[in-house]
Amino acid sequence: MPEHFSIRDLSVSLSGTPILEHITYSVKEPGHMIALLGPNGSGKTTLLRSICGELPYDGDIRLNGTDLSGLPPKKLASHISYVPQQSGISISMSVLDVVLMGFYSRLRLLAQPTGSMREDALRALSLVGMADFSDRDYLTLSGGEKQLVILARTLIEDTTLLLFDEPDSSLDLGNKYRMLRLISQMVHKADAPSKKSALICLHDPVLALSFCDTLLLLKNSRLIHTLHPAGDPISEMEQAFSEIYGPIRLIEFSDPQFSEQKRRILLPMP
Amino acid sequence: MAILTLAMALTVIAFVSALMTGKYPISLSGLLSGEPMEVRTFTVLRLPRSLMGLIGGFGLGVAGFVYQTVFRNPLASPDIIGVSSGASAGAAFAILFVSSASPSTTGFAFLGGLLAVCLSLGLTALSPVKEHASIVLAGIAVHSLAQTFLMALKLMADPEKQLASIEYWIMGSLSGVTASKIRIPVLIILVTSFTAFLLHRHILALSVREDEARMLGVSVQKTRFFVLLLATLTVAAAISVTGLISFIGLLAPHIARLLTGHNRQSACVLSGIMGSLLLLTADIFAKSLATVELPVSIFTSLLGAPFLIFLILSERRR
Repeated sequence: MPEHFSIRDLSVSLSGTPILEHITYSVKEPGHMIALLGPNGSGKTTLLRSICGELPYDGDIRLNGTDLSGLPPKKLASHISYVPQQSGISISMSVLDVVLMGFYSRLRLLAQPTGSMREDALRALSLVGMADFSDRDYLTLSGGEKQLVILARTLIEDTTLLLFDEPDSSLDLGNKYRMLRLISQMVHKADAPSKKSALICLHDPVLALSFCDTLLLLKNSRLIHTLHPAGDPISEMEQAFSEIYGPIRLIEFSDPQFSEQKRRILLPMP
Repeated sequence: MAILTLAMALTVIAFVSALMTGKYPISLSGLLSGEPMEVRTFTVLRLPRSLMGLIGGFGLGVAGFVYQTVFRNPLASPDIIGVSSGASAGAAFAILFVSSASPSTTGFAFLGGLLAVCLSLGLTALSPVKEHASIVLAGIAVHSLAQTFLMALKLMADPEKQLASIEYWIMGSLSGVTASKIRIPVLIILVTSFTAFLLHRHILALSVREDEARMLGVSVQKTRFFVLLLATLTVAAAISVTGLISFIGLLAPHIARLLTGHNRQSACVLSGIMGSLLLLTADIFAKSLATVELPVSIFTSLLGAPFLIFLILSERRR
């Protein structure tokens, strides 16, 4: 069995300046939520764009054994879906039509979305809590609602690897958690073995700690730490975060009334 | 659906009125009794002219919809990649060096428009940055080139006859449209618009950002090239017969979207129907308001300018 997802010795440079150097990371099984953390300009977005095949790179990126470099768009789109910070939809379009775009790579040239595809799209919309919006004009939605619609489109694409470019950048606190919870539901399936993984660029390390299985910490074009919040000792994580965000304390607490799960917050030390 | 039916009904009314309007009075009873002069006027002049208004306007509307969607810009129009100026230069060339009669101006205008678009799309293919912006830049370059060429031709033209013909062509008119002139252009417009409807899904997919479209599985460059070529063929076929007709490609999609709300497939069809309605109405005015034929673009612009202002004002509320 090939590894689920692997990056081997990935290096990217743009007009001579190294943006990423010798990144290596792999995960054996699907069902993983991976956070990419790091200061601005550390190469998070570059890593996503390399996986999307938008930048030339040295090294090897594989998904279930398939080399992702040089795949034609239709093929690539059947493996990976990408959620940009903000979708570039710029003309009036119904929410349902936006979600139906998720079927693009599976439709033949002149084929139209079928009735069952429409039903699937409506179901995806109701999963993200946007069922009532199917007939609305996408452009009139708020930033948070737009992201949820794009998430529904991602559900429709039904790919193995989901890439998210800073889904937390334009959302308020409640919507950030809602978004991450939905991604988590897609990746960590409760009822069936999951086939998906998600790689998420995040600004907020607390979100990463709450939802992700693995945290990749990037700094100065390099992968400096790989953290597993479930098992790693607090002091070790504190040390790792301090290298990126400056002196920081990681505080763990639980609120049995709210949830059994331990919560963590980061406190910067001025 | 109700809106679509209503728009179609209005277009049929406009079509029939266009058939009945003109210098020579035609009556239904005259036509039915086979009065030779009336039948001749009807079949040789009115029918081809009204058909061209109907189908040419339809093509301009559909093409405008395609341009605005693909360029993700509500102000995009055929001028943006140089079709109109290329066609004008082509027509002027024909008037000067071949003949100012119809088959040659039509043919050369069509070739000129196509050449201009091939130039701008070719330039874009050569550029390392293959984005919408570079198509627009290439279009502006080609547009200026064609304008320069047109200016040179105008300077060389005999001011009495040729210059007047060039100017008249640029103002656009449906007068002098005959059956033999419109056969091929009408066929082209019907085929390209129908293909555009079939490809509606791809046209919509081009309206998102390029990286996003690619990750949805769209071969952006290939699809965009084909779709733009399709829209350009439509426009070139229409204006090669009628001369430049301003604003219809800009207005029709906006009206269609205002009426349908979203960018449903019906918006694309409705955009075509609105194009027909606008052109037929403008042509009715052009042939009935004065004792001489007026250029049709006067009326399309007259409708277009206030509507643009309305759009600017309503945009702010969004």
